[in-house]
Amino acid sequence: MKPLIEVKNVRKIYRMGDEKEIALDDVSLSVHKGEIICLVGASGSGKSTFLNMVAGLEKPTRGEIYIGDIPIHKLNEEKVTLFRQKNIGFIFQAFHLLPMLTAVENVGLPLIFRGVDNKKRHILAKKMLEDVGLSGYEKRKPSQMSGGQQQRVGIARALVGNPKIIFADEPTGNLDSSTSVEVMEIMVKKVRENNQTLLIVTHDPTISEYADRIVTIKDGNILNIEENKRG
Amino acid sequence: MNSRDLIQLAIRNLLRRKTRTFLAVIGVVVGTCAIIVMLSIGFGLSHNFEEQIASYGNLHLVNVYQGGGYVVGGYSDGKQAILDDKAIAAMERIKGVDAVSPRVEEYLTFGIDKHVASVSVIGMKPEVMQKFGFNLQEGRLLQPGDKYALVFGNQVPVMFYNPRETMYSSWSGEPKVDVITDKIIMTGDWEYGQKRRHGSEGEKINYKEYKAQGVGILANPNDESAYYVYMNIDTLKTIKEDLKRARKEIGPNQQGYQSAMVYVGDINDVQDVSDKIREMGFQTHSLSDWLEAMQDQAKMIQGILGGIGAISLLVAALGITNTMIMSIYERTKEIGIMKVIGANLGDIRRMFLLEAGMIGFLGGLAGVVLSFILSLLMNTVLSDLLSMMFGSIGVGGSTISIIPWWVAVGGLVFATAIGLISGYSPARRAMKLSALESLRNE
Repeated sequence: MKPLIEVKNVRKIYRMGDEKEIALDDVSLSVHKGEIICLVGASGSGKSTFLNMVAGLEKPTRGEIYIGDIPIHKLNEEKVTLFRQKNIGFIFQAFHLLPMLTAVENVGLPLIFRGVDNKKRHILAKKMLEDVGLSGYEKRKPSQMSGGQQQRVGIARALVGNPKIIFADEPTGNLDSSTSVEVMEIMVKKVRENNQTLLIVTHDPTISEYADRIVTIKDGNILNIEENKRG
Repeated sequence: MNSRDLIQLAIRNLLRRKTRTFLAVIGVVVGTCAIIVMLSIGFGLSHNFEEQIASYGNLHLVNVYQGGGYVVGGYSDGKQAILDDKAIAAMERIKGVDAVSPRVEEYLTFGIDKHVASVSVIGMKPEVMQKFGFNLQEGRLLQPGDKYALVFGNQVPVMFYNPRETMYSSWSGEPKVDVITDKIIMTGDWEYGQKRRHGSEGEKINYKEYKAQGVGILANPNDESAYYVYMNIDTLKTIKEDLKRARKEIGPNQQGYQSAMVYVGDINDVQDVSDKIREMGFQTHSLSDWLEAMQDQAKMIQGILGGIGAISLLVAALGITNTMIMSIYERTKEIGIMKVIGANLGDIRRMFLLEAGMIGFLGGLAGVVLSFILSLLMNTVLSDLLSMMFGSIGVGGSTISIIPWWVAVGGLVFATAIGLISGYSPARRAMKLSALESLRNE
């Protein structure tokens, strides 16, 4: 089967004045549809850079990235934004909800950009909030919710548009361990249900329990890829 | 992103920082208001000039005189343009001209019973009198077929007096005669009805006396028409001939008419029409010549006032730009989030442009409303105050400020445009923010 995400010999160099910093040296990875991949590594290992490049937020210095048949590395900002809007959901460490919007509005935000009308948006967003266990919280502002609740809103927002791929950058980084488990359970459950592909970046080894494959990155290179054999 | 969501989001963002939005809006209100009110004073000034001049006479009227003028085309052989029927017909064809009538004038004396009055009589074509914009107080205007029918200027009936009494002893300002119902005698004899001062002239002239009938009185008591009597030009020409014979005057037969009156429907065309007639080789005179000069002056004052207003709107524009830039700094993270979760570049730009545009629009709207209120206050309270201080004499009119609808609409559009322009660069900046950079910004 053809992989959904194909990363071929990607290299990323940051230039800071005269100094060059190699964030990614030479990384290749294929991800199949429905897979849950965990990228682990110490901070500064380049795992976030990898994620950003696959999401089209940064361009590789060299190498190719394909999602489906689309060369992400070649798209301009406008096209890559459009692509992201339709195919990719994002979950952030710091939740990144918009403070002036209520939970249901935050969840519906990606749909606004797709031009979905208000009524339909509200129904979809409400359904999604229910799915992450937040029914009754629709009208709350982010400031009126706990971290775990906020992240669940974040998950709902990432999933509401039913994207093919979901990126989660340290999704539990700001949460305590019991909440982390809660959030991960929900996230993985939803992704499995819809046969979506999930890429998680983390340095928390307990998170990697949920992945099909664990990719360890060190100093800009893939150190090893470990198949997770779960019962 | 559909426009309803866009607008909703923009409104929420504006409401989120109420104070700042409010201050930015106030800036635009003041700016818009300053421009509109300043311009309105200019319009008021210009209107007052117009009113003032209109009270001296008919602004639509161009008086045409024979001779004196130059002939465009380079003929300098002294050949004068002649104001004849051909010339009149040519004038009628000029664009903007509603009616033309040749004009003959003669100083005649009218007698009603024991009362007399000596007045200049203007002869004009009865069929076009209707088109000259005369307003009637009573009766009717001249009609085709009228011969000895007279239309009196508003002030003429008051001028009748009894010469056998001391001249103004019983002058009360009320007419002593009814020019429409009373029988009227018309003559060239200026001493008609008075005691003859025998021997003063030596030879007695036999003046003809004509029976005439008043048919109407004009309404305007202020303009020059108030002191004239109007009648059929052909009849008046006959009277002139008679007089000439009676007085045994010898003179070259004048070719054409002394003068003509041209009525222009739109005051704005008066200048063009005058120019064209001068090109034909005639002299013209109209109150519009005067008005034009005064209006130029009004425009200049208006320009200066408007400029002062424009400066305050410029300051308001800077305020909007500042507000928007501040708001982008504050919302850098938000912009990043939106970009990552799928906001198009255009959406981001539109969002910020719309916010800026709304500030402009709201400010403009409030500014227009406030301008109307201020204008009303100026026209009532301030104008009372002014007339109390300076007296109403000499103040051309009571209107200080006039806001034409197109200025109000223009002010609103302009304020909105200012908002959009001020917001353009911040919006671009927001659009170009790197999503990653903004998210790191914590």
